[in-house]
Amino acid sequence: MSMALVEIKTRARREVKITILEDDDYKMLTKKRYHFLWKSFRNRMDVAVYKLQLSGDDDILGVMALIEVPDESRIEINLLACSKENVGKNKAYGGIAGHLIAYACSQAVKRYGRDACVSLVPKTRLKNHYIRKYGMLDAGWQLFLEGKALNDIILKYLL
Amino acid sequence: MNTKKTRVKHTPGELAEAYVYPVTLTPAQKKEADKQLKAARAKVQSEMTAEDKLTSDILQLRFQLEDYLNNEKFDPRLKFSYFLKAYVQLLNKKRKVFAREINIDETELSQLINDHRHPSENIIIRLELHSNNAIPAIAWYKLIEREKEHYIITNKTIRKQEEKHVSNRLTVDID
Repeated sequence: MSMALVEIKTRARREVKITILEDDDYKMLTKKRYHFLWKSFRNRMDVAVYKLQLSGDDDILGVMALIEVPDESRIEINLLACSKENVGKNKAYGGIAGHLIAYACSQAVKRYGRDACVSLVPKTRLKNHYIRKYGMLDAGWQLFLEGKALNDIILKYLL
Repeated sequence: MNTKKTRVKHTPGELAEAYVYPVTLTPAQKKEADKQLKAARAKVQSEMTAEDKLTSDILQLRFQLEDYLNNEKFDPRLKFSYFLKAYVQLLNKKRKVFAREINIDETELSQLINDHRHPSENIIIRLELHSNNAIPAIAWYKLIEREKEHYIITNKTIRKQEEKHVSNRLTVDID
């Protein structure tokens, strides 16, 4: 995988990595900067939390909590947040959430191949934006990526 | 979780590009959501083209290979031969046909798949070209390198054999 974000101000591409969150990282994940109470996942064995960082930099630009549903060959995105300075029209980097969602898809396809699925339960008013931005498919209460839609987001963000 | 503050500052589009919020469904809603997802997924699966399936299969192989290479441990099961066999299988072609496509003899392909010989540089470049760069030559190369590394580190027989060709060894001990 070769992942890179675009720095909005300079248009420069910066290499990034996505790795599993370590216990020490929770100290950094304040509600003020990452919008949610990430510490609540600290002892949750059923949730895997991932962080996105620029290569060679310890700062966390994005974080995502995933729940595996192996019986359904599916991974659910339970929670995702970009750091405060990467939200809105004045954000520093573009594509953080896209990279994290695509990464969830890569984990799903690695485990489940052509049966892989990534889903989330959207807030109603954001639903159409997820569909437009990430090519998500509508399943009523949930949105999901599977088949071509799942492959496409991987190809767009990760390869 | 309170999102009112954010709502004032950002448009829904901007929020969708930054967050996935937690949403709790009632048991009844959850049941309905599961049912809807199952039906929608079945439709997507039934509409997957052969190309979509091949793309998924290739991506799976590539990520498994990358995962193995990122993990420093040698796994005797996951050799070049294992991944080559997986690649040929997912193409759903006879070995004879695939051998022709990369211009090697079918016997040579069998030897590579059965781990009876190592590939030349030409072969790994041809594999990269055949996969349209989906599996880069460097990934194939690193697999072979990892096998060699393991062989060099662990092989006692070759050390025994080579002893007779070495004289006047250093006497310092820094092991």
